[in-house]
Amino acid sequence: MTDFAGIIRALAGAEVDFIVIGGVAAAAHGAARATYDVDVVYARSRDNMDRLAKALAPLAPYLRGAPPGLPFRWDTETIAHGLNFTLTTTLGDVDLLGEIVGGGGYEQLLPHSVPIRLFGAERLCLDLDTLIHVKRAAGRPKDLEAIAELEALREERAKG
Amino acid sequence: MADPIAVPWIDPVVEVYKRDVDRTLLRENLKLAPEERLLKLQDFVRFLSEVRDAGKKAGLGR
Repeated sequence: MTDFAGIIRALAGAEVDFIVIGGVAAAAHGAARATYDVDVVYARSRDNMDRLAKALAPLAPYLRGAPPGLPFRWDTETIAHGLNFTLTTTLGDVDLLGEIVGGGGYEQLLPHSVPIRLFGAERLCLDLDTLIHVKRAAGRPKDLEAIAELEALREERAKG
Repeated sequence: MADPIAVPWIDPVVEVYKRDVDRTLLRENLKLAPEERLLKLQDFVRFLSEVRDAGKKAGLGR
């Protein structure tokens, strides 16, 4: 089971620049759907990739769903040579995304993120409109229920 | 050019799905602080995990 707070604290504690997206961001806004991992978009600067590597190294990150025993190394070079990583860690599952469909990377998403107080500090989360937008842009049939819920949530929030 | 993220549009397929959304759950969540919402989610996921483990022990499922 994924420890949402633990993963967010691990990233924030290492001063990683990241934006929480996906189901955890949706839940922070008020969505009720279950989610089983933490999705974040991280900044692709060299310094930030260094911090990201150090943040997760103690959590033994490994490629989720891959057979055991692969020569997977978690370090800055691996992050720099890749982009999006779906990982399992000792605190649970985390998706680290350099870019997302319909939203771009960290810098593009920054104006569409909002600080939300979570686990003792302000964390950047994707705003509700952009969560809906990127879910739509992904174009996955499995997301239709989630999009409907997020749009209903937006309507409920608008009612005050 | 307008920011595509800022342009709302109505998808008739989503409108159909929207009829099945339980808005009482959303309204309850909106009464909570964001951190409380995540703690509630964590509790729910923990419960699901326990149920899944119990099912496995009982030889149910895959």
